[in-house]
Amino acid sequence: MGKEESPQITRRTTRSSSSTPILKNGEETTKTSEPHPLTINDLVFGGEPIKLDELLSSFPGRRIQILELMRLLGPLNSPMLPLFLYGGTSTGKTSIILQIFRHLNRPFVYSSCLTCYSPRILFESIMNQLLLHRKNADNGYASAKRCERPSDFVVSLREALTNVLNTLKENSGKSSSRKPAGQANGRMIYLIFDNLELVREWDKSSSILPFLFELYDILNMPEVGLIFISKVSPDAYYSDRGYVEPIPILFPDYTEDSLRQIFMRNQANPKLYSSFLDVVLRTFSRITRRVDELSTAFSPLFKKYCEPLSDPGLVPNEDMKRKLFSHLQPHLAPALNEIFKVQSQPSPEVEAKQEKVKRKSNANKLGGREAFDEIDFHMSTSAKYLIISAFLASRNPATLDASLFDSTGGSDNRKRKRKSSEKSMEQKETAEQELLMKGPGTFPLERLLAIFQCLTSVVESSLGEDQQINEGLGAGNGDSGLMSDVLLQLSSLCNANFISKGGSCPLEGSTRYRATISEDLALKVARSLKFPLSKYLYRG
Amino acid sequence: MATPDHAENDLQPFFVLHKALVQKSERKSSGSRKIRRRIELSPISAKNAEKMEIGTGEERDDHHYEHLRMEAFNFVWSKIESTIKDVLRNINLNVFNEIHRWVCESFDAIKSCGTTLTKATHSYPIVTDATFRQLFTGLVFTKNMEFVDDLMTFEELGLHLKSHGCHVANLSSIDFSANNGIGGCLRSLLRQFLMVTLDAADISILASWYSDQGNYNKPVVVIIDDMERCCGSVLSDFILMLSEWAVKVPVILIMGVATTLDAPRNILPSNVLQHLHVSKFLLGSPSERMDAIVEAVLVRLCSGFCVGYKVAAFMRNYFLRQDGTLTSFIRALKIACVEHFSSEPLSFMLKALFVEENSQGFWSEEHALFPEEMLKYAFDLPSCRRNNTEERTGENLAHDLSELKRLQKCWSTTVLCLYEAGKYNKIQLLDLFCEAVVPCLGNSTASNHHLGSGISSSSDHSIHHQYLISEKCSFICQAIRKVRDLPVVLLYQLLKSWEKLTEDVIEIHDKVKELQSLLKFENGKSLKQDLTNIPKRHTSRSHLNMDKDSKVLNEKAARLMETMVRDYMQPVECIPFHEIVCFKNVDKLQSESWGED
Repeated sequence: MGKEESPQITRRTTRSSSSTPILKNGEETTKTSEPHPLTINDLVFGGEPIKLDELLSSFPGRRIQILELMRLLGPLNSPMLPLFLYGGTSTGKTSIILQIFRHLNRPFVYSSCLTCYSPRILFESIMNQLLLHRKNADNGYASAKRCERPSDFVVSLREALTNVLNTLKENSGKSSSRKPAGQANGRMIYLIFDNLELVREWDKSSSILPFLFELYDILNMPEVGLIFISKVSPDAYYSDRGYVEPIPILFPDYTEDSLRQIFMRNQANPKLYSSFLDVVLRTFSRITRRVDELSTAFSPLFKKYCEPLSDPGLVPNEDMKRKLFSHLQPHLAPALNEIFKVQSQPSPEVEAKQEKVKRKSNANKLGGREAFDEIDFHMSTSAKYLIISAFLASRNPATLDASLFDSTGGSDNRKRKRKSSEKSMEQKETAEQELLMKGPGTFPLERLLAIFQCLTSVVESSLGEDQQINEGLGAGNGDSGLMSDVLLQLSSLCNANFISKGGSCPLEGSTRYRATISEDLALKVARSLKFPLSKYLYRG
Repeated sequence: MATPDHAENDLQPFFVLHKALVQKSERKSSGSRKIRRRIELSPISAKNAEKMEIGTGEERDDHHYEHLRMEAFNFVWSKIESTIKDVLRNINLNVFNEIHRWVCESFDAIKSCGTTLTKATHSYPIVTDATFRQLFTGLVFTKNMEFVDDLMTFEELGLHLKSHGCHVANLSSIDFSANNGIGGCLRSLLRQFLMVTLDAADISILASWYSDQGNYNKPVVVIIDDMERCCGSVLSDFILMLSEWAVKVPVILIMGVATTLDAPRNILPSNVLQHLHVSKFLLGSPSERMDAIVEAVLVRLCSGFCVGYKVAAFMRNYFLRQDGTLTSFIRALKIACVEHFSSEPLSFMLKALFVEENSQGFWSEEHALFPEEMLKYAFDLPSCRRNNTEERTGENLAHDLSELKRLQKCWSTTVLCLYEAGKYNKIQLLDLFCEAVVPCLGNSTASNHHLGSGISSSSDHSIHHQYLISEKCSFICQAIRKVRDLPVVLLYQLLKSWEKLTEDVIEIHDKVKELQSLLKFENGKSLKQDLTNIPKRHTSRSHLNMDKDSKVLNEKAARLMETMVRDYMQPVECIPFHEIVCFKNVDKLQSESWGED
C-alpha cells in the first residue's frame, strides 16, 4: 500500500495544478506531456465540481429523480443497497448518474455492457479501472488481469476493492484538513453497470445476470455501492433467485414542457428558438419523446428555419414568425417520417439535378433510355429477369404458376381477376390485407428456375426491340441466351439482400428462398426490361 | 436480413469470378511452357506450325518466334493492364478527393466539440448531446449489384486517405459475420490500427491507442467495403459501440453500398440509423467505367491489340446480359489476348509495330532477316489475298503495316468524334464501338445507311446492312443526327473537342478548323469567349436570331461527320494484315470463358 502511496502524493500536486488549464486549453498542455500514471483520484469524474443547483437546473424535469438518487446514495461514507435505474432510451439515466458523481466527487467504476460485449471484457474492464491500469503499446494493450469466469472475477475483484478502499481510507484520514481539487471524497466506491439489458443476450444459460445482481451479497462489502442502469424495467429480469432486489428508480419519458426546457438550454437566441419550438415540438413530441431523436431531427430543421433570416440574432415578431413558419412547413412532414436523412455532397447533387432536367427534356424522344435510368445501379439483364422471377415466385401462389405461364400467357389471368373482384370487394380486400401481413412467400429453387425459364423464353420468342439489337450484335453465337450462370446470379442477388435464403423446409429438405424486394423496385426493374410485370402478378 | 448461412453463399461469386483470372495469371507466370503446349494443341496453330516447319525444318526458329510472341504478349498485356488501372484510378480520383475533403470537414466538426486527452480513455461517455454522438458516415454508392469490381476501389480509397494523413482500416463483410460477432470485427479493426492481435478485443483499446502521442489529432477512418453483405446485427452493435465512444475516438465511417439507399434502411434498425450522420458519394457507374476502358484500350488502342466485331459483340453481350462486371470483361479481354498471341504466328509483330517509336527502323533491320515462310504466310492471310497484286517483299509488308496503323488511327479518331457527339444523346461508347468495328463490303452504301437518308439499296447484303435494317436507326446515325439538333453553344463545344481529337489527322483537323472559324464568324457578336457561362435565356435569344445560320452550321458539321464516317472509319477487319493485330475467334473465346458445353 505504501508503495502506491508515495507517487500519489507527488502526483496530487501536479494534477491539481494542471487540472484548471485542462478545461481551457487542455489539448495543448496534455498532449505535450507524457500520460501520467493513473491514481486513485482518476476514479472520480474530474473536472470542475458542480453544485447541486446547477445539477438540478441542467436536467429539467428530473428533479425528483436526482433528489431521490442523492437520498439513496446518502451522505459521505454511508453504505447503500444496490440501485436500479431504468427508463427509455435517452431519458438522462447515464448523464444524471455521472453528473451526480461529479457533484459528489466520489470514486466510481463505470462499465457499459455495450462496449464490454462479453463477460470477460466486462470483468477485465472493471479490473483495469480498479487496478489503475492503462493499456498501451508497452504492455501490448493487454489487460491487467485475465479473468474469464465469474469466480475468478470475484476473487480478484475483492482483492482490488480492498486495496482501493484502503487507499481511500488513508487519503481521507490524511488530507481532511487540506483537500486538493481532484481528491476523491469518502471511503465508498461505486460500480456502475450501464446498458444492463444487453447482458440478457450474452449467454443463453443466463448465469451472468443473476451473478451481477448477487454481487452485492457475494462481496458482502458495505463500502461498495452497486448501480445498474437499464432500458427495460426490473420485471424483465427474472428475480426468483433470492438475492437482494435492487431499489428501482424510474426515469419516465420527458413531458413536453421538460422537453422544451431541455431544448431551450444553451441557445444563442432563445426567443428565436422558442418560436421554432412552438412550431415543431408539439407535432414531434407526439411521435417521439426521445431527446436524441428530437435533437437530431431539430438541428437541420432549425437551420432551415433560420434560412430566411439575415441576422441570426434577430428577435422575431409575429409577422416574421409566420413567414418563417411558411418557409419551414414543407420540410416538416418529410422530417417527421424519416429519421435517416442523407446529405448529398453539394457538387454531385447539383449535377444530378441538372441531369434530371436534361433527362426530362429528352424524355419524349427516348422513352426507353429514360426508363433504364430509373434504377440507379447496374444489373445485368439476366439478373433482372431472375429477380422478377423471384418476386413472382414469392408473391404468387404456386398453384397459379401453370395457368400464368401456359401458352396463352397472362390473358387468362385477367378474367379470373375480374371475376373475383365482382364477387365481393370485401373479400378481396381482406385477402390483400392477408397477403400484406404474410409478407413474401418462400419458394424452392426449382420453382424459381422454372419461372425464370418461362419468362426468358417468352421474351426471347417475342423479341423486344432491345433484344433484337443484342441478337444482331451477337450474330454468330446463338447460345448467348440468358440462361448461363443463373446460380451465380442467384448468389449475387442473395448477397445484395434482394433474395434471402431461408432454412430448409423439413418436408422437402431443400433450401427455400424468399424475395425481399419491394414491389416498387420490382416494377422499376420490370420497366427497364419493358416486361409487363403486372400482367403476371396475382392480386387477391 | 442476415441469414445464418450467410457466410455460405458469401464467397461464391467472389471465388468463381476470380478463379479463372488467377488461373490465367498463373498460367502466364508459371512460364511459357503451358502456352507453348497449347499452341501445339490448338488446331490453327498446329497447322501454322506445320506450314512453317515444312518450309524451314528448323525447330530453333520456331522457338525463337514463340519466344517473341510470348514477349509481345507480356508487353501488350502489361500495357493494357496498366492502362486500365490508370483509367479506373482517374475516374475515381475526383470522388476520392471529395471524400477526403469530407473526412477533413467531419474531423473538424468532431474536434470542435472539444475533448481533452485525459478524458479520452475514460470508460464513461463524455458527451451527452445527441448530435455529437452521431457518427459521420459516408455512403459510397458503387452502382453495381456485383461488388467484385470495387474490391480494388475501396483498397485504393484507403491508400488515398492514408497518404493524406488519416488512420485507415479496411473492413469487409467477412469481418461482420454472425459467427464471429462483434469481437471479430473489433479484432480485425485493432489488428489494422495497432498491428497487434488480441483475443479480447474491445474498443477501449482503440481509445488508448488513439491517445498515444503519434496517433492523436488525425481522423480515424473505417471503410466497410460491402455493407449489404454484412450481418445486420453485428454492424448495428459496431455502430452503437462507436457512437458510445464518439468524440473520444473520432471515427469516420465509410460504407460501400452496391444497390440503393434502402439497403442500410433494411439492414439496420432505426435506433442505429439515427446514430449515423450520412453523406452520400457516387462512384462512376459500371457503364461509365466501361466506356472509359473501351476508349483507352479498344478505341485509342493503347497497345495495338484489337478485337473483331464478333468478339466485341460477344463481350458487350456478356457485360450487358450475363455478368455486368468489369472484372469479367477484363478477363475476357485477357483471354482474347492470350488466345491471339498463342494462335497467330505473326502476332509478335504487334509489339514492334505499335509500341516502338521508330517502327521504321525496326523493320528495316528485321524484315531482311524475315524467313521466306513468314512472308508467304503473311501474304496468304485472307485479308491480304483479297487484293493481292503486290510483290511479296518485306518492304511491302512493312508498308502495309504502317498503312494499317494509319487507318486505325483514322478509325479511332472518327469513333471518338462520334462519341463526343453521342455524349449529348447519352450514347455509350461501348455501343458505338461495337457498331464501328462491324466490317462492311461497300463503304459508300453503308454510309448511306449511316446517314439514314432513306435510300435503301436492296442489292447490299452486308452484315452491316442487315444490322441497320433490324435496328432501324443505329447508334452512329443517332450520333450524327444529334449533331444536326445541337444548339449553337453545344455545337461550339463539340467542335472544340473535335479539334482536340483530330490533331493527328490533318485532313479532318483542317476541316474542323474551318467550321470553327465559320462558327466564330457568324456568331461573332453573340458568342463570348466564356461560352459555357452564358445563361439559358441569352442563348435562346441568340438562337432566335441566328436560327437559320446555326442550322446551316449544324448541317455542315453533320456533313463533316458523315464524311469522316464514310472515308476514315474503316473497320479493322477491312484492312489488309489485320489478322496480325486483331483477334476474331469468338468461338474460342466463348468456350474459354464459359467452359466447354
